[in-house]
Amino acid sequence: MKFRKSIFASVFLCFVLLGVVAVSAQDEPINLRYTLWIAADSPQVARFNEIAAAYTAEHPNVTITFESIPFGDYQTDVTLQLSGSNPPDAGWIVEGAARLWVGSGVLTDLGPTLSADDSYNIGDFSESSLSLWSEGDAVYGIPFSTSPFIVLYNRDLFEAAGTPTPDELLATGEWTWESFAAAAKAIADNTEAYGFQSNDAALYTGNFWATLIPIMRGFGGDSWSPDNMCLFNSPGSVAGLQYLHDMIFVDESMVPPGTEVDFYAGNAGMTMGQLSRVNRLAEASFEWSIAPLPTGVNGTQSVIGQAAMVVFNNSQNRDAAIDFVRYMTTQENVARIAQFFPPARESVLNSDALVEANPLIPAELMQSAVIDAIQNGVVLPSSAQFPRIEFLVRPALDEMWVADADIQAITTSICDQINPLLAR
Amino acid sequence: MHAAQAPRHRRSLARQDAAIGYLFVAPQMIGFFLFVLGPILAVFVFSTQHRDLLTGVVEPAGLANFQTMLQTDRTFPRVLANSLAFTVWLVPLNLCLALLLAFLLTRKLRGMIFFRTLFFAPVITSTVAWVIVWRFLLQGDQGINQFLEGVGIQGPNWLREPNWAMASVIVTRVLKTVGLNMIIFMSALQNIPREYDEAASVDGANGWQIFFRITLPQLAPTILVVMVLTVIGSLQVFDHILLMTNGGPANATSVLIFYIWFQAFRVFDMGYASALAVVLFFIVLTATVIQWVLRQRFIYNER
Repeated sequence: MKFRKSIFASVFLCFVLLGVVAVSAQDEPINLRYTLWIAADSPQVARFNEIAAAYTAEHPNVTITFESIPFGDYQTDVTLQLSGSNPPDAGWIVEGAARLWVGSGVLTDLGPTLSADDSYNIGDFSESSLSLWSEGDAVYGIPFSTSPFIVLYNRDLFEAAGTPTPDELLATGEWTWESFAAAAKAIADNTEAYGFQSNDAALYTGNFWATLIPIMRGFGGDSWSPDNMCLFNSPGSVAGLQYLHDMIFVDESMVPPGTEVDFYAGNAGMTMGQLSRVNRLAEASFEWSIAPLPTGVNGTQSVIGQAAMVVFNNSQNRDAAIDFVRYMTTQENVARIAQFFPPARESVLNSDALVEANPLIPAELMQSAVIDAIQNGVVLPSSAQFPRIEFLVRPALDEMWVADADIQAITTSICDQINPLLAR
Repeated sequence: MHAAQAPRHRRSLARQDAAIGYLFVAPQMIGFFLFVLGPILAVFVFSTQHRDLLTGVVEPAGLANFQTMLQTDRTFPRVLANSLAFTVWLVPLNLCLALLLAFLLTRKLRGMIFFRTLFFAPVITSTVAWVIVWRFLLQGDQGINQFLEGVGIQGPNWLREPNWAMASVIVTRVLKTVGLNMIIFMSALQNIPREYDEAASVDGANGWQIFFRITLPQLAPTILVVMVLTVIGSLQVFDHILLMTNGGPANATSVLIFYIWFQAFRVFDMGYASALAVVLFFIVLTATVIQWVLRQRFIYNER
């Protein structure tokens, strides 16, 4: 009797203690630091803050701080912070660096938590959308933005040049890379503006991939194959680079190296970009619209830029960070940010709400230029050796952007240099 | 009694003085040991390791990093040559221009303040603003080239042709920093007693003779100090190049410090970056020692 009583008492005591621990654990204030690369005063971050506030309402002890780091410094700063004593808890990683980060062992496997949560339904993310972020059964990142490349164009300049607009060409099925170049030339010849400006004007000094990849793939080439063989010197890639070279030096329709021109200020007829760039046109002084990428030799080759949310292993609040990333990427919240970040969740992608999500873009363009493109698009290249590869490719491309460049020889030299890295 | 006690008393006073002295320099010394000497020693240790900043994996490497640098890395000789070219052009240009401006601007003429301000203003301008303005001026078919076209000259595409890009970076850097050296030279010039010049001209020396025989030797100590500082500074120019050319075109403006940054913070190979930094350290050290030896040789009031 006495024995039973004491067992009862000790079990009771255990529960009380557990309760105290649980209550105190729940009440312990946690601040999650979440790094991203868009401006802190952007509408995107405003939306994130709304979601974070809703999360705090459900979990009063957890607050979230979004920390904005410029894209160019992002990886460096996050890496340095991770090796310091106050690491960020969660953040974004871009596709090019995905393999580097996934292989580094600094990211947390989100798979077990997310698979265990039936309401989350991880199966809603297609296997292809997760492939860059997974290794075996482990899932190190949840893509929140699968943003296809689109053509943004200045309708006023098309009219001034008297050349058919992309939507007219689309209607007749003539929206090809050839008609793209012809339109650029018409604008350059008949107006004060250039016909085509590279993606974010970055072809010559910054992120050249965003301009090269859509064009090289449009001509049947690529940077490297899925099994890591360099394809810069493949016939398709060379044709794509030659096409770009001709636009710069023969047609003189594309902004040449060493010239600072801004599409968003109305000084070029067309550029490429992703959905988030549309926000920069909200107050543009000219009429504009968007179009899907032109048709290439293998039909329309959509290209997708992807970014994922990750949790860092060094986080001192890892469980809370995992739960917050789970919350950010539930079906409901993915739909809430879909206006800015085209979703990887099939259910949101196929919802009627998505075509209406962005007030700046008409529904039929949202369908043809964004949603269709996500479904058949291929993500930008990624490699665990990405920074080294970029360091070798950049100077080689500098040699290409001169009038009498030998593109075949330069691309062959690129492949000679990067194949050993790709093979690692 | 008193006589015996006095030295001990004095000694303890001296000790007290010393202790107070050490206390006064302590903040500076602690800062130096913690944030200057410590990291420098760490770099030497890191240079003998394979050290991945991202994964945190550290393995001993012996001299492997230096072997890679000298034997297989094709970029290293290139950036080293670029660094040397940058310094070899920048330092004389900077010193000559600073000296010339100092001479002109110590004349007692009306409106001199305006010109002094004009040449000093770039020093206090932020590098970012300075570089961005120059990027617009140095475009292929606009800015300076538009002006040149007006007078019938076809200007090069400044920032896109390797040699012109290097020249542009050097000249814009000189214009940015020359004001500081100019101020130092001006104060040195104003400290030279007028009597020497007057005595020399009474003896029949002309302007050139006065300059080369009187003024320049008087300025020599200042010139050497300024030269040492400018050489060290020129080997550490980073933001200017990053913003202006990003090391391009075709690595034409990639200098050693730029490559160190790339290896450390783009590739996350801290070990190799540290090895490169050790090389830079010894280059700067050697340059400084050489100039110090020259100083003792050639400056008359130090012999």
